[in-house]
Amino acid sequence: MVVLDDRAVLRNVSCEIGPGLTVVRGDNGAGKTTLLRAFAGLVPLARGSRQVEGTPLYIGHRPMLLRGLSPRENLAFLAAFRGERAADVVGALRSWGIGEVMDRPGERLSAGQRRRAALARLDTEPARLVLLDEPFADLDVDALVRLRAAINNAIARGQSVLMATHLHHELDQDATRLLVIRDGEVRTP
Amino acid sequence: MIDRTLLVALREVFAERRHPDGLVAALTFTGMVVLLESLALGPGRARQPDVASGIFWIAILFSATLVSQRSFDRDLEDDAIDAVLALPGGRDAIYAGKVVALGMITGLVAVAAGVMAILLLSLEIALPLHLVLLLALGIVALAPVIVLVHVLALRVRARVAVVPIIAFPMLTPQLVAATQGTAAAISGDATAALGWAGLLAAFALVYTVLGVTIVPAAIE
Repeated sequence: MVVLDDRAVLRNVSCEIGPGLTVVRGDNGAGKTTLLRAFAGLVPLARGSRQVEGTPLYIGHRPMLLRGLSPRENLAFLAAFRGERAADVVGALRSWGIGEVMDRPGERLSAGQRRRAALARLDTEPARLVLLDEPFADLDVDALVRLRAAINNAIARGQSVLMATHLHHELDQDATRLLVIRDGEVRTP
Repeated sequence: MIDRTLLVALREVFAERRHPDGLVAALTFTGMVVLLESLALGPGRARQPDVASGIFWIAILFSATLVSQRSFDRDLEDDAIDAVLALPGGRDAIYAGKVVALGMITGLVAVAAGVMAILLLSLEIALPLHLVLLLALGIVALAPVIVLVHVLALRVRARVAVVPIIAFPMLTPQLVAATQGTAAAISGDATAALGWAGLLAAFALVYTVLGVTIVPAAIE
């Protein structure tokens, strides 16, 4: 159970996320973000427990990068913090199409560029469980294609991808599992 | 733990170097306080060791709060802090790294304000090395409490008001020790200066340990 502001946002949740793509659907405010943040360890559980193998990579619906730093500095910091000092940050940022602006401070980038920089963490921080919250927001067509490829690559590598979105319903066909959050409960349709 | 603390501290310093909002605000604020002190009290009273050191430490306390406030504002923008908190050891490192960075930046402000006060008020320092020791320990004793309270009030909307209301009463013993110790160093009382320095070191140790112990559970 997850309680925020004295309101039970999620209750009676019991789910196991294995390798492959798991898509979480639900109306606005249903608790999709809270579920992902609970998996990431960012919200305390009022009751129950969670078990995650390794440290998940959580990319929220905001970029989660420090605006005073450039994408390169942000990604190098996060990779080093995770112990991935040899991560190819420059290569990852170039492959996401922001090589030319990777040394520009975050506040001078567009929302789409900041989103691309955040998603480049998929290449620099390998994790068994990847949590993506509305990853398609702010992306142009090229970046959408790049993100779909990145998700497919992660799945091919045996990673578990848990993605919350209310867009791109065609993804449901590729998903290993589909979870729907309604009235604070997680259901399998 | 130490590696990660240093990483966070470096990240803070880099961000502050690129956009020195906190540092500039703190330098301006302390500079103005020192200037206004001599105007408001007159040069004679403003030069008295206990008055000069008291006003100096109050200015440093407010400055450190400003710098810390700006640091947390920056981290809450775009949820940047969550990227660190979601990593193992992230909560400890955020606390300890911010304490180290705040100590460094406040140290810079204290040196600038101290030099300005010495020149503007024509202060004669009887024990300069004791003064440097007290400055260092005073800052080391302030930073853990200010960051700890900011962490506890992280998601509070009125954080700007809440932090001083909670932190300043907690910091009263440190403020007294720093003020009395600095006054003793200015007037040449080595025994008193070292006594107050020891007290500041104890405060620094207690609050650093307390912070590292409770912060992991306190941060949401």
